[in-house]
Parts: sequence; structure tokens; C-alpha cells
Amino acid sequence: MGKLMIQRGHDGPARQCTWKRDSLSLSTPQLVGPTTIPDLALVYVTATRDELSKTTSIVVLPSLIENVVPVVTDTTALIVAPTLAGIDGLDSEAARLTLTAQTRLIRQWDVAGEHFAIHVPSSTSLSDFRDIIRTSQELGVRAAVFHLDGSLGPRDLQAVSLRSQLPRNWLTVATGKIQPAFVPVLYYLGFDIIDASYAETAALAHRRLWRMESEVVTSWDTARYCGCHACHDATSEGPIEQTLLLHNMEMFHSLLSEAVHARAHGRLRWLVESLSHTSPSMASFLRLVDKRVFDFIEEFTPTVGSGTVPLIGPESYDAPAIKRWRDRLVARYTPPEGKKIVLLLPCSARKPYSDSRSHRRFIETIENSIGPARHEIAEVILTSPLGVIPRELERIYPIANYDIPVTGDWDAEEIRIAADALVSHMKKFPPDVVVIAHVSGGYAQVVQAAQDGIAQSIIYTIREGSATSREALDSLASTLRDMKEVLALHGGRSTLLEETLRATADFQFGPGAGMLLVPEGTSVSGKLYRRVICRDHGTQLASYLAENGLLSLTLDGGCRLSEHGSYWVRFDGEVLQGGSLFAVAVKDADEKIRPGDEVIILNKSNEVVAVGRSEMSGREMCDFTNGRAVSVRHRRK
Amino acid sequence: MIDELTELSTHIQQMSLKSRGSSIAQRRRRDPRQPAAAWVTTARIGYDTGTAISIVLSTIGCSYARGPHGGCTMCSYLLDGTSTQVSADDLVSQFETAMTKVATTSSPLSVKIYTSGSFLDPAEVPPEARHRILSLIAADDRIVQVILESRPEYVTESVLAEIQKALGTRDVEIGIGLESANDTVRLMCINKGFTLKDFERVVSLARGYGIGTRAYVLIKPPFLTERDALFDAIDTMTTAARLGVTTISVNPVDIQRHTLVESLWNSGQYRPPWLWTVVQALHQARQEIPSNVVIVCDPVAAGKKRGTHNCGKCDKAIVSAIRKFSLSQDVKDLEGFTCDCLMKWEHSLVHEDLSKVPHDHQQ
Ligand code: SF4
Ligand SMILES: [Zn+2]
Ligand SMILES: [Zn+2]
Ligand SMILES: [Zn+2]
Repeated sequence: MGKLMIQRGHDGPARQCTWKRDSLSLSTPQLVGPTTIPDLALVYVTATRDELSKTTSIVVLPSLIENVVPVVTDTTALIVAPTLAGIDGLDSEAARLTLTAQTRLIRQWDVAGEHFAIHVPSSTSLSDFRDIIRTSQELGVRAAVFHLDGSLGPRDLQAVSLRSQLPRNWLTVATGKIQPAFVPVLYYLGFDIIDASYAETAALAHRRLWRMESEVVTSWDTARYCGCHACHDATSEGPIEQTLLLHNMEMFHSLLSEAVHARAHGRLRWLVESLSHTSPSMASFLRLVDKRVFDFIEEFTPTVGSGTVPLIGPESYDAPAIKRWRDRLVARYTPPEGKKIVLLLPCSARKPYSDSRSHRRFIETIENSIGPARHEIAEVILTSPLGVIPRELERIYPIANYDIPVTGDWDAEEIRIAADALVSHMKKFPPDVVVIAHVSGGYAQVVQAAQDGIAQSIIYTIREGSATSREALDSLASTLRDMKEVLALHGGRSTLLEETLRATADFQFGPGAGMLLVPEGTSVSGKLYRRVICRDHGTQLASYLAENGLLSLTLDGGCRLSEHGSYWVRFDGEVLQGGSLFAVAVKDADEKIRPGDEVIILNKSNEVVAVGRSEMSGREMCDFTNGRAVSVRHRRK
Repeated sequence: MIDELTELSTHIQQMSLKSRGSSIAQRRRRDPRQPAAAWVTTARIGYDTGTAISIVLSTIGCSYARGPHGGCTMCSYLLDGTSTQVSADDLVSQFETAMTKVATTSSPLSVKIYTSGSFLDPAEVPPEARHRILSLIAADDRIVQVILESRPEYVTESVLAEIQKALGTRDVEIGIGLESANDTVRLMCINKGFTLKDFERVVSLARGYGIGTRAYVLIKPPFLTERDALFDAIDTMTTAARLGVTTISVNPVDIQRHTLVESLWNSGQYRPPWLWTVVQALHQARQEIPSNVVIVCDPVAAGKKRGTHNCGKCDKAIVSAIRKFSLSQDVKDLEGFTCDCLMKWEHSLVHEDLSKVPHDHQQ
């Protein structure tokens, strides 16, 4: 049975897999090329036209017109179903007919469907493609080949949209004109096998490819320096095309390896963003991909991470982890009751914000001026491109991890993003709260841009200069003292711990989860910068960990959460054994689950039998029949 | 053909009609007494070298293209026609006007009569015009070879008998656009509307009247990769020879206006054939086909981006080699060429089979 086995780890749709069929085993990601490229682990040949290779091969069936009957050998990794050249230049109906012809032939032939890859014209419509996938799936097909013409235009975008429709356990091949800098992007978008033939196309045009550009080499004397073996050993007598081919392949191999490494360290998105600066068309391609297939990329983007998340330019504004954060804030956050003031503060370079010098001074000023009445203030931090951050969520990924270049100047889009976020945020507060905007520069521009959409009254505390200047802090202090009088703020006990835990629970599991896991009268104890434990009548339900700003559940907490009906994984049995739940045993799972989420595991009888951390998205657990789905933390013995 | 390909053929036919758009309505009115074109070349006539005159009569154009079938996917000859019916008198004067170009030329002469469709189609060339033109040819002793073009459906026994009667022992060929020997390629990719059987019928029918056939073979119909096209062309030439044609005229596709091929080309999904493909097809076919069947090729727009082309550096030499070969029939004329772009072509042959993205596409 042709089968795609997935390994651990996520960073967008990219994955590391093994394609297995009988004794053949091919690890992905992998580059593919013609047999004229030396030392490739995977080559392609056309049946009846090229000599079959001893290397693991993708065997292409020639045109639909020819009716070549497929044959499988020991080295055949995949047989690519026949299509027609240029059919991508017609409409979607022509594409549909071409694909239907492929499935009909696959059904007719005497070779099992698992050996085939469908050959997808980029002019196929999404709805036709979904039908074709269903038919192919029934035939046992688990692989698809897409064409990219390398123009990074609408056709390539459509190929990516089509790719996003495939079930997760399909092997995916990108062919066409693919430059080295495009390799990490395609890998990020979930292509497992990438056509490196352009290394040869370019070499034959005497073009030496570099990471982000290329150069025409006419003589080794004037060519720029390269330390690769091929260029190092190049002589003016030797054939220039061969040297360039080897060099160009180095470039392909090194970019793929860079992408694999980046993914392992949660930095693939960053690499892709960096490479989007290769050309304006690459930059627009990434931005359009973020718009077109956002749900697809987001679904496989982990909700946790440990390293720094650099957000450098506009290509980060709608990065999946960033836009998801903004969307979830709108959908899942409810401000605690009883807030009378919303205090807007600028972000800080140091994370979490409250550890920074500036925020320590803000907090000190608040506490010195109004003391325990601080708990009647909702502190909200403005930042780009994440928008607005309630104090309670400052330790969550990616808020505690992001890093932006700070110049004080905001571009129009940053202002629009933050102003929109502020307007929706303020809609959640009663109309009589007072907004105190302790911000200047770009931050103040954001508040001004949002002003018309905000029903509450706004007081600005800074005329000019920095928010941490003596003058600004004095102004903040006196405004707060005035407000204490006007709004009749009174003292009381700090509610920051409960509020943080509830907001976190809502953010992780959806609205309402906070009141289930941290009901009124719960005891919460600990330090936000270390660990906070939440007990209900002596039973521990969850603990909050400063290092990732998230709740981790106990079994009892899991039972409580089961009432919420979300973030569950159902397995095919009664009692769970061992420290992991594998995808093969998963019967069903909440589609909201992302890699890294805290989840509960239900048995056949719908009882909570374990809690743990997901290693896949919910849909993946259902699609795959191998791979670790959940790492179990606590299980019922 | 499997059902989907039959449906696809119908669909491609509609797309072909669409590409033609309103171009037909915008055809120019021409002087009905002037031929659309006429030119004189040196040509191989039997075993001699003589003079050939090609005459394109200005007619209302190909019935097949004017009708609901939309015409062939690569052809816009229709646009060379006039917007109104041309009378027999006018057609005869067109012929006479053209023939003044060879008024003083000595024998042997070869006359090729083209229209923007079929010379034997009575709707395009009234029978009266046909009789008169054939008699004018019959009266000219210098003319030893005559080539008339037609779709197979107009090649009937009565027309063949008429030609035989008028031209007697002259070497007569009827040119037919076979394009490809593969019915799927011809019917679906080209939208030609007739089968290999239809063609075969005409070849043997004509042979019965002592009339030869000249098969026009297309190099690189749309929806074929470069390698598909190479194999298809060789196969078509050998099949045509086996069926008994007397001449094979090889036509690499050139991008004509308002055609489906042009719209594919515009969207980067089609490239006219490489000259290397043409050379290899001619070379291989010449060795496989008996020498009594002549193979000729006079590529249109060769070396230009809309015609068969290589890299630009080697095109001129290769095109003149192809022309030389057409006269000599000697494969040696096609040998010994090399260029930096040869390996690019070899790469395209292999890579396009997988990627389907045409390489080296220029606009
Ligand atoms: S190739 Fe011949 S049959 Fe086809 S449209 Fe043109 S003129 Fe008519
Ligand atoms: Zn090098
Ligand atoms: Zn050349
Ligand atoms: Zn290529």
C-alpha cells in the first residue's frame, strides 16, 4: 500500500514524511530532476521514451493522446497520470475533463491506484477538484502533481489553492520552472517533492544561480567568488555547463536543507518572509498566498513556540500566527467585569511587557497614584502588527516572543491594523468606561485613527515626547487621581490572577472556558512570572505556566472542559495505554485543534481518559493513519 | 477515444470558435480581380529544377472555418479571404493576373493553387471558375506540374475525372492537410473534422485517376509537448508514405492571429516548434520513407518568435539547410549543425513531458 508516514513537528503545512510502497521508501522533502543531473535520490523518466532508471523514479506517462499502459518496477515511486500540454491555458472545464480522463484510465488499468499521482492543471476549479479528489481517493490514489510556471502570477497562486484542498496524507509534487529561492516557499506550502530541473535550464543558459538572484558566467576570470566544490575545481577548459549544473544543484540542495532546518526550529515562516525580498513578484506572491489560503496555512501553524518570532516587514502583517492572534482576540476575549478605565500603553521591546523597564514604571505610577484601585483598570498594550494586547494575555505565544524593528514610525497599514483592532476591542467595553491614552507618536496616531469608531470618551495624557518621560508619567498620575475621584474608584483585592487565568482559558479553548475552569470562588495561587495553580474546592483543575502563558489541564480540569465541547480528540477504545495517542487510533477530533494545543482525549464512551498536547491539527489526526497525534500528560489509570 | 476526450474535442472546438471571435466580420473587402498573393520560387520538379508559381486566390474562405465547426485551431487563412462571394469571372482574372508573373519564364513550370480554403469546394470556387482555370493551365505547355489544395470531402470521383480530363498526363497532386496521422491529435487538438480513413479514401481514389496526393504535415499541433510533437510528426510522415502519398509537405506551426493556438501562446502555454525538432523529424523520416516520396519543408516565419525558431544565433543557417534539403532530399544537408541551444532543446524534450510548461517561451 502506498502510504505517507509523517514525522513530528510543524511550521505551517510543511512536513517531513516517508513515502512507503512495498520495499521502496522515500523520505521527503526531496528534490527531483532528470537523469542528467548527477547524484539525485529521485529522478523522473517518461515511460516508453526515456530509459528506466535504477534510481527511485517518478515515471511520467506521456500525453493522454498516447495511451501508454503503465508498468510498475522496483524503483517506481509514483506513476504520473497522463495529461495534455498547454491544457492549463484553456478554461476549468477543459481541466475537469482532463482530470476525469485520468481517473477513468486509472480505474481501467491493471495497476492499483496507490501507484498513481494525478496530474493537476492549474486551471482546475476548486469545486471540480474536490470531486476529483473524492474519486481519486476511492481509487486509492494518494499523490498529486502540480505545475508552477514560475511567473508567481495567478496560475501559480491557483496551483497553491488547489494544493491546499488535498487531504493531508497525500504526497504532493511541484514541477515546472522553480528557482532556488522558491523552494522554501513551496516546502512551507506543503509540497513534498520539488522539481529542481531549473538548475539544468539555467546552466544551459550559462546562468549561475545564487540564493536570491543569478549571474551569467562567460568566463571564470570575471565570475564572482564561490566556494562550492564545482566552482572551486572549475577550469577554463572544462565544460562550463557541467560546472554550472553542479553549482546550481548545490544551491537547490542548500536552500532545501535551510528550509528543513528552519522548520525544525520553528523559523520556516521567517525564512520564507526573508526570501520574499528576492523580487517584488515573490513578495506579492507571499502576500496573496496569505490571503488566498490563509486557513490552510494557519491550520498547521503551531499555537506555541519557544524562540523569538522576528516580524520584520509588511509580509509579517498577515502571517498566520499573527493574524490568528488578532482574529482570536476578537472572537474569544471578553473583558473582565467591573472595569471603569481602559488604559492604553505602548509596547516594549522586552517581553513580557511587564518585565520591561517602561512597563515597570507605568505600573509603579498606577499603583502610586491610585493603589489597589488598579484592578478597575483594563490595561491594554498597543503594538504592531498584533494590534491590541490585554495585559492578561501578555505571556502567550506569539506575544511573549515577537520582535519588531522599532523606529517609532508606523506605516499606514500598521496604523490601520492596530486601529481596527482597537475599535473592535473597545466595543466589548461598556460605553461609560473612560479611555486613557498614555501613548505618543505612532501609537497616538493609532488612537486618533480609531477615535471615530470608539464610543467611549478618550483622554490623552501626553502632549509630546516619550511615554516614560517624567512629565508624561506625572500627567498619567494626575489623570488617574482625577479619575479616581470622578469615577469613584475604590480599593479591593487584586484580581489579576483570576483574570489572567480566565482570559487565557477563553483564548485557548474558546469563550466560556474561563468560567468552567476558573469559576467564581476558585482559589488561585502563585506568581504570574512563574506558575499559578487553580483549585476548585481543593481539586486542582489547571496550572498556568509563565514560560508559555498557557494553561495545562489536570484530568479533573479536562473533565470540566469536556462540558465546553471543544478541543477534544476521540480515540477508538476504552482505556488509553502509554504516553502517546497515535493518529491511527484517532476516530474523530475537533477541527479547531492546532499543533501545540492543550487537548482532552475522550474514549468511545465519551469519557475523558487523558489530557495532553496535540502534535497535529485536528484534521490531520483524522487523515493520517500514522504519526503521533497527542503527547499525553495525564491519563486515567 | 475515451468519452472525456470526445467531450474535450467538442469543448476545444468551442474554444477555437471563441478565439476567432469577431475577426471574421472584420475582414477586409479586397479587389476581387486581384489574387490575395502570388510568388515565384525555384523548385524541384520531378528530377529537374524549375520555377514554381504559388497563387493564392482571393475567395470567401474555407467553408469549414466559416461554419459552426470554427475551423482548425492553428489556422487563420480565413482572414485572408474577402467578406463577399467572388464570381467565376473574377476568380479567372485573378489567375490570369497572377500568371503574368511568369509570362516570360521558360519550362518547366509548376503551378500551385491555394485559396484560403479548398480549391475544389464548389461553395468557394464555383465549378465554372474551376473549369476555366483548369483549361487555362491545359493550354500552357510549360506547365508540367499542378498542385491543387482541398479538404478531402470535396475530392469526388466527378471532380477527379474532370481534372484528369483537363490536365491529361501532367503531374497533378492534390494537397490535403492531413496534419497528423493520429485521429485524436487531428480531431481534438487541431479540430480538423476528418479522419485518417477519409484521407486514405482520397489517396486511393486519386491514385485511380493517376493523380497524386501531397500530405501537409503539421509540426507541433497544440496540446503536444515538444517530444510528443517530434514523435507525432515522424509517425505522420511515415504513415502518409505508407498510404501512398506522392509528396509530404512539412509545416511547423506558426502563430496566426485570432486562433486558439495564438491564445495559448499569449498565455505562455504554447511555443512554436524548435527548428531542431523540424530538422530531426525531416532527418529521421527521410531515412525511413522510400525515396520516390518527396519530403519538402518551407517553414513560415522561421527564426521569428511566431514561427519555428531556435536561439536566434543558429536559425538562419538551419532554415537554409531545410530549404536546401527540400530540393536535394539529401539528409546530409541536415547534418553537422550544433549550437549552444541544442542542449536546451534536449532538456525541453525531457522536462516538458513532466512539467508541461513550455520552455524558452518568448513574446
Ligand atoms: S487548415 Fe484548412 S481546413 Fe483548417 S481552417 Fe484552415 S483552411 Fe480550413
Ligand atoms: Zn559554486
Ligand atoms: Zn542556437
Ligand atoms: Zn526545464
